[in-house]
Formats: sequence, structure tokens, C-alpha cells
Amino acid sequence: MANRIETIARDLGRMFEALAGLILISVLIPLVWREWWVVPGMVVSGMIPLLVGFGLSRTFRDADDPGRLHGMMIAASGWFFVALFGSIPFLLVAWTAQLDPSILDIPTRFTAEGTRTFSTLAAFQNPLNGFFESMSGFTGTGLTMTDNEAALPHTLQWWRSFIEWVGGVGVIVLTTAILARPGSGSLTLYESEARSEKIHPSIVSTVRTIWWIFLLFTFFSILLLWLAGMPMWDAINHAMTGLATGGFSITDNSIGTYDSVAIDFALVPVMILGSIAFPIHYLILQGNLRNFYEDLQTRWVFIFFGIGTLVLTAVLFDQGFYQTDTIAVAGVVLQGQAATLFQTFRFALFQFVSAASCTGFQTAGSLGPGWTAPAQLTVAFGMVVGAAAGSTVGGIKLIRLLTLAKGILFRLRGIFYPSSAVRTFNLDGRALSDEEAAQEFEEAAIITFLWLVFLGLAAFVFMLALPMGPGPDAFTVENVLFEVASAQGNVGLSSGITGPAMPTVTKVMFLFNMWIGRLEIIPVLVLLRGVFASLEVYE
Amino acid sequence: MMQLEEIPVVGPLLAAGADDRVFDALLVSGPILIVAIALLGRNPGSVALAVAYTVGFSVYIGYKGIRRTPERKT
Repeated sequence: MANRIETIARDLGRMFEALAGLILISVLIPLVWREWWVVPGMVVSGMIPLLVGFGLSRTFRDADDPGRLHGMMIAASGWFFVALFGSIPFLLVAWTAQLDPSILDIPTRFTAEGTRTFSTLAAFQNPLNGFFESMSGFTGTGLTMTDNEAALPHTLQWWRSFIEWVGGVGVIVLTTAILARPGSGSLTLYESEARSEKIHPSIVSTVRTIWWIFLLFTFFSILLLWLAGMPMWDAINHAMTGLATGGFSITDNSIGTYDSVAIDFALVPVMILGSIAFPIHYLILQGNLRNFYEDLQTRWVFIFFGIGTLVLTAVLFDQGFYQTDTIAVAGVVLQGQAATLFQTFRFALFQFVSAASCTGFQTAGSLGPGWTAPAQLTVAFGMVVGAAAGSTVGGIKLIRLLTLAKGILFRLRGIFYPSSAVRTFNLDGRALSDEEAAQEFEEAAIITFLWLVFLGLAAFVFMLALPMGPGPDAFTVENVLFEVASAQGNVGLSSGITGPAMPTVTKVMFLFNMWIGRLEIIPVLVLLRGVFASLEVYE
Repeated sequence: MMQLEEIPVVGPLLAAGADDRVFDALLVSGPILIVAIALLGRNPGSVALAVAYTVGFSVYIGYKGIRRTPERKT
């Protein structure tokens, strides 16, 4: 037991050191934007995890390397505590504005009570709101406690985007890339962070390759969005959160703020890049373009996104939600039904890709109450399924759904064969033995089942805590299912439920949903079992 | 002489690199270009640079794909 705690403490310490580095690097932002009053809060926020991390990693530096059990407990507790420490910048910056020490000369818009800018920042004086924002950021969810993102100081806008960007690849992947020593149990930790695929035989080389691919795509995405018309600061933030399929925005109405066809269509490939597994990106960057259609998951990412977009377009077109008289696209003027069809396709494409890639950017302002139930449920289905495992997305993942679908067909067809027949189950070009196939089905079935169980649990809690039924301030069952699927799938689309005013019990529930969603449930359950067992609550 | 690997924090990432001159050049020039555009603003020159970067990146991947295809046949 003591050895286990020492191993966990040592590796948590290394994660805290990496987190401290992220916070302290972010001090550059207030320097660039001349937000001097934010600097003390950011420095203190960085020093806390640095000192705790340094103390833990040095005290227990000779601890054993982690086994599978340790790896899961480190991943689960690490993500929890990184989100907790990552909330300190929100808390300290909000309280700095509230206390308003004259020496810091804080702009009055952050200190004048009664304004929307003040209330937006003041929401983070509640530690639970900061923790929610941080967990939402690191897990790439994108649900927010801010009332008006544009009113936040640039430093907090950056911090929200930065934690989503890092969280998209993974906190452990970052720690491994920077601080790992070869042979120090990195593979175990890597696999505990909902990743299993390797690009190179060495796990350290693999995570460093993931990082240069991610950096390259980030630069490309920033410039693409800037060319589409976004201001550079907006392009930097949205490229980071779009590629990480996180979905935090720095504008009040997400991407809908720009109301730009070019920006909408520029963000779609950015979100798709985030939906494809890193090993496939690596092969494609090596010139092996066949992976776009030869790789099972990548092929299905395009098929799934395509079918979902067409269904959503049909549903919204039938509803007549985007009636448009005239619209000019690339110099061509569309009128009447053609204009309506184009606008419907534009919003359906963006929202379905945003949902299924688990990004959560919103262009459809009235996505909650305005769309019909079939339209909302189509988007919710995309959120639940997600895209490729090994990418930055959440959800159940396409490969699990495909495994279950192929597995069910395999079992059904087996009934028509004699019992002595030798049959091989093929998945993604691999011929699996009976034992391997059973293991694949089992893993996919368990995750899917647990996913649905916790989805139902959260929906139950929300229906008890929120006003339900007709009325301007009440929510419907499909609103609740949509919001819960969004939180647990780490998507971030909202039907209007999430906000600083939501009941505390629902915030805590969503913290749990976002946490388990990012780690694919099992590591969190293993950690909780370990904690309860050591407290002798559970045996 | 100091090796890339020895640079604190980001050294290992820089040393890992892409093992490809063009991607390495894009990795190094990307942040410089973004900072330059942020300082210069939107003008024909900065737009041309951004177009060159994004189109160059896309075309190079296509070029690698085309170059690889005949190699696979031999």
C-alpha cells in the first residue's frame, strides 16, 4: 500500500510540475496584452503546483515504476488534481479584481459591480465554477461557467484555450514528452489516458511525434482561420480549441458571432483533423494518403460525418428553420429554395461535425429550444458516438460501435454455420482469434454499457434538480439528454442548461461526467474503488 | 556545442522533430510567421505569406503522396 501511494505521489508530482510550467509560460500573455494586474495571480497559481510537484517528485523519486493498477489510479487522480490546480488562475484573477488593490490599477470594467463584464469574471470567485471551467477545459468539453467570454481578460481567454489544447492531446502525453525517462513506466501511464496506439516502438518517441504533428496542425489552422477572416487573436484561440476538439470560444456566441460562411467552412477541416487518430496523421504526413480510405476508423469518420450532415440537413430543411431569401457565396447569389438549402446545409454540416468531433463550437444560436426534437437527437447521437479513438475526441468512439456492430453480425451469421466450422473475425484488416475477438467485444460492450449507465444517472439527477416541463424557464427531457451527452462526450454544445446559475448538485454531476468521459470511465472507477477500499468503505 | 536535446523543457520536442526538412522548416517558421502577421496586420504581403504557408503545407503532403505511389509499385 505504501509503495503504491509513493509511486502515485511521485508521478502526480511530475504532472504538477508540467502544469506549473504551463501556467508560468502563460505569464507571457498578460505581458503582451499589458494586463499587469493579472501577473501576480498567475505567478502564484504557477508556484503552488510547482512547489507541491517538486516536493512530491523529489521525496518519492525512488518509488517503483507504475503497474497497470497504478497507471489507472495515476491517470484518474492526475486529471482530477490537474483540473483542480488549473482552476487556481480563475480563482485568483477573479479575487484580484474583487479586492481591487490600488497598486495594481485594475481597469474599472472588471471592478465596477453591476456590469456584465464584472459578473462574468466574478463568477469565478466561486471555486466550484473555476474547477468546472478547468475540468471542462482539460477534458476538452467546452461547457462554460462564463456569461460572456469576450469580457474575460485576455489572460483567462488564453488559459481556457491553452488547457483545452493541452488536454486534447493529454496531460500525461505532455508530461511524458517533457519529463519522461525511458523505461519509467511511461507506456502504462500512456495507456491509462485512453490511448493505446503507438507510432514508434518507444513510447517517448511516440508522444514526441504526436506533439510535433499537433504543433504543425496548430500553426496551419491558425493561418487558415486568419485567412478566412478571423482576427489573429481569435484565430489563435479558436485554432487551438478547434484542433483539440475542445470548443471553448473567446466570443459570446461562439463561432456564430462571426456569421461568416468562410469561417464556418474553414473550421470544418480543423475539427476533422482533430477527429483522426494521430498514427494515421503520421502515416499521411509520410505520404501514405491511402490511409484516408484504407484505415477503418478514418474511412468511417468521413462516412459518419457525411451521413449525419445529410440527415440533419434533411430534418432542418423539412422544418424550414433556415428560411433565407438571398445569400451570396463566393460571388454567386443564391435565391429562394437554393438559398435556404445552402444555409441549412451550412449550419447542419458545421453543427454535426462540431458534435461528432466533440468540439462543441456553435453557429446555430437557437440549437436548444429552436430545433425540433429529431434535429437535437441527431446531434446528440453524433455526440454520443464521437469519432476516431486515438484522436482528441470524446464519446464512445466509432471503433467501439463498429466492433459491436460487426460482432453482433458475426454472432448472428454463426448460427447458420455448423458448430465445427472454423471462422475468422476480421476487424480493421486484422484476423482475430476467438479469444482476441471476445476480448474486443467485451471491452467495447463494457465501455458502451458504462457510458450509458452514467448518462442515465446524470440525466436522472438533472431531471430532479432542474425545473422540467413547459414554460419559459423549464427544460424538456431532450434538453437534459442533449446536455448530459454533451458533458460526458466532452463535446460542449449546450441546450441552455449549463451556466453559473445552475444548481450545485448539477455542477458536481457534470464535473464527474466530464472526468469519466475523458478517461473512458474505467480508470476513474478503479481509483474510486481503491479510495473506498483504503477507507474501508468498500471491501 | 549545445545540442537541441539539452535546451530546457522544449529541447526533447525540438530534437524529436519531423525528420523531414520541409516539415521542420514549417515547424520553425510557423510561430515566427504568426507573430509577424500579428504585428504587421492584414495586408497583401502578410496574406501572401499565410497563403504560401497553408498551400505549401497541403501541396507538400500531396507531393509526398504522389512520390510515394510509384515507389510502392516497384
